[in-house]
Amino acid sequence: MSRIILLDNEAVQALGTPGHPKHRRLIAHAQVVARRKARTLPISVAIPTAVRVEAGWDRTNSAWAFVNQLRIADVPLGTKHADAAAAIRKRTGVSVADAHLGAAIQGAESDHVTVITSDPRDMRAAAEGRHIDVVTI
Amino acid sequence: MPADDQVLDRINELLDSPDLETTNTSMRIPNALREAAALAVRELGVAPSTTVLTSNALRAALEAVVMQAVLDRHYERYPQTRPALADLAIAAAELDGHPLAGQPELIRRSAGEVQQRHPDASPEDVLLWAEALTSAAA
Repeated sequence: MSRIILLDNEAVQALGTPGHPKHRRLIAHAQVVARRKARTLPISVAIPTAVRVEAGWDRTNSAWAFVNQLRIADVPLGTKHADAAAAIRKRTGVSVADAHLGAAIQGAESDHVTVITSDPRDMRAAAEGRHIDVVTI
Repeated sequence: MPADDQVLDRINELLDSPDLETTNTSMRIPNALREAAALAVRELGVAPSTTVLTSNALRAALEAVVMQAVLDRHYERYPQTRPALADLAIAAAELDGHPLAGQPELIRRSAGEVQQRHPDASPEDVLLWAEALTSAAA
């Protein structure tokens, strides 16, 4: 059973900032992912690009070197996801970044989706009924 | 940039490369392993081909190696960020939506008890222990 883990803005900030009060918690999540990859379990971590913009995560900026190396994939805001996100935003009123997260959740091909977020209510709204495991930070 | 960072960045770059062209390599694979892989592909349908099976396994191994190397370097630089067994068990429960994810104190207690008996216990061992505790108490 495959699982994808999606990050929201605060999760990215916490992961990328050693002084952040939630950094150690995010590192624990990353370490669990690394251990599962070592057991060849199908698990991946991704971030919708609209969330990456909101978080200020510029992959060319050396300040993000640590997070860049953790194999967190982009979920691009291509035509399909832009259409889905626009519809989600219209229906639920969530932010642009959360709407892109919603499109990533709803379009995920993995069997299970986990979202690490500081705003579980908006994540569940953006998921619009697709089952997600929410980690509230 | 330290050499290790360059190596990790280059491996990541290669893993992310869209170049799917294959090449015959001089890698030597034990005959028995190759036959087992061929059987698994043909009879169990685990992958479209032995090439795909081998590539997927190698990719997974390399991703794990890179990620662990990055984390180990982070722990060297920031030792206080290294998660304890209890932290890992809680994180594992959270990621899976485990029923005990909302009971971090129980998981911490379980981690302490398991670690006394099994110093090399895994986060999954801790969750099993915690489940057993809740079952026994029910």
